[in-house]
Amino acid sequence: MFYFTFLVLIGLVLGLVGVASNPAPYFAALGLVVAAAVGCGILVGHGGSFLSLVLFLIYLGGMLVVFAYSAALAAEPYPETWGDWSVLFYVVVYIAGVLVVGGLVGGDWYSYSWVVVDEFKDLSLLRGDFSGVALMYSLGGAMLVVSGWVLLLTLFVVLELTRGLSRGALRAV
Amino acid sequence: MNPYVLAILLSSLGIGTTLTFASSHWLLAWMGLEISTLAIIPLMAQQHHPRAVEATTKYFLTQATAAAMILFASTTNAWTTGEWNIQEMSNPTALVLITMALALKIGLAPVHYWLPEVLQGLDLTTGLILSTWQKLAPFALIYQISPMMNPTLVIMLGLASTIIGGWGGLNQTQLRKILAYSSIAHLGWMMIVMQYSPNLAILNLILYITMTTATFLTFKNVASTKLSTLTLTWSKTPMMTTMAMMTLLSLGGLPPLTGFMPKWLILQELTKQDLPLTASIMALAALLSLFFYLRMCYAMTLTIAPNTNNNTSTWRQKSSQTTMTLSITTTLALALLPITPAIMALTT
Repeated sequence: MFYFTFLVLIGLVLGLVGVASNPAPYFAALGLVVAAAVGCGILVGHGGSFLSLVLFLIYLGGMLVVFAYSAALAAEPYPETWGDWSVLFYVVVYIAGVLVVGGLVGGDWYSYSWVVVDEFKDLSLLRGDFSGVALMYSLGGAMLVVSGWVLLLTLFVVLELTRGLSRGALRAV
Repeated sequence: MNPYVLAILLSSLGIGTTLTFASSHWLLAWMGLEISTLAIIPLMAQQHHPRAVEATTKYFLTQATAAAMILFASTTNAWTTGEWNIQEMSNPTALVLITMALALKIGLAPVHYWLPEVLQGLDLTTGLILSTWQKLAPFALIYQISPMMNPTLVIMLGLASTIIGGWGGLNQTQLRKILAYSSIAHLGWMMIVMQYSPNLAILNLILYITMTTATFLTFKNVASTKLSTLTLTWSKTPMMTTMAMMTLLSLGGLPPLTGFMPKWLILQELTKQDLPLTASIMALAALLSLFFYLRMCYAMTLTIAPNTNNNTSTWRQKSSQTTMTLSITTTLALALLPITPAIMALTT
């Protein structure tokens, strides 16, 4: 399990490098998918199975599908991959940067321990993420209302930004 | 824009900042910041002009980066110390990260690059909201974590902002860019005194908001966005042109105008803290800012003939814009220096 978590952590860094190194949107979306999927793996490894499921369904299932669709609208005949020099340069720089920074501050930040959530509790009927969801609906009700309002606000923001077909500056096709 | 949608957006803009003000928990503070960012975005892009949309995109990207950094840093702090309270932050890494994130949010110098370009893409009313109301929430957070922040970092941010704010504005001919650099320089003054006397920083913020509101509203009243059109204002509204000259000098910090008060008090505080070198650099950097304020004054008023003018005024219709806010803020921006003790009592 430790090796699996280690592998997944490396996958997360590589996935993020894949997005950040600025390839064509197609491949960047692929990098994002990899990063999100292994991110869910990390959550599972630390005991957040429900959280991981929510992230996987909402982020990958909902948002990334729309993103991939938008990226497909901006299709290029010769998309840049990670093998092209302009992208490969960033890949190398970012990986080197991660290694250097990780070597410098890694010990302070991540103390080489791997603790699953609720591991040191005497008796827990529910995992941390489940009880967190329950708390959100009981004690954190006000926060839930604020979050709901933000979602409604986001809907209005998006509708307002994308309205006015031909007048708009944001035009895909 | 539909008035119902406008009402939703404006109220959310208010709610976001209020939530951040009211919060003692990093998560709620972050939520407030995100709400106000989200709410202003359609207001910025409401003309659907390509330049406005570009400015909106830049603004969204910088604010989203800063908000993500705030979330990351506060989570790191909660992870290592188990403390979500804003005033109880103690992890040094998280504090440096969050200071830089808040600096990015309000546009302090080395991370100020977005501000002039974003402001240049907006109309003057939205620009006014951006450079006043949108600064309040991040500033409240800076105020709350200021005792724990790294002093060297704060001093460097303050000095860099004042110098770059003055320096960057020198070669500009576009008023909104000049105002953006003016905002950067003033925020530098607020940062430099933040750890020694936070009340003075608040005082400076209040007075800066007053003065910049007066300036923005003046430019809006004469529909002027560049220096060259500023030279024609005397033939439209001569009285307001005179007042605008003094408002600009007040922004520059000349006595006996309001803008002198924060600079005076901050320099006094810095010398009292035994920082004469910092105080000198700040005072000299203010001269850089004064140069472009003076140039605006020169273009606006100082080239008018001093004798009786033979030209007739240009033909114009009576302006239908409301001038109540403009007159109040201009009065405040010019004449508050005599009641300095009362204003200091207000912010302590």
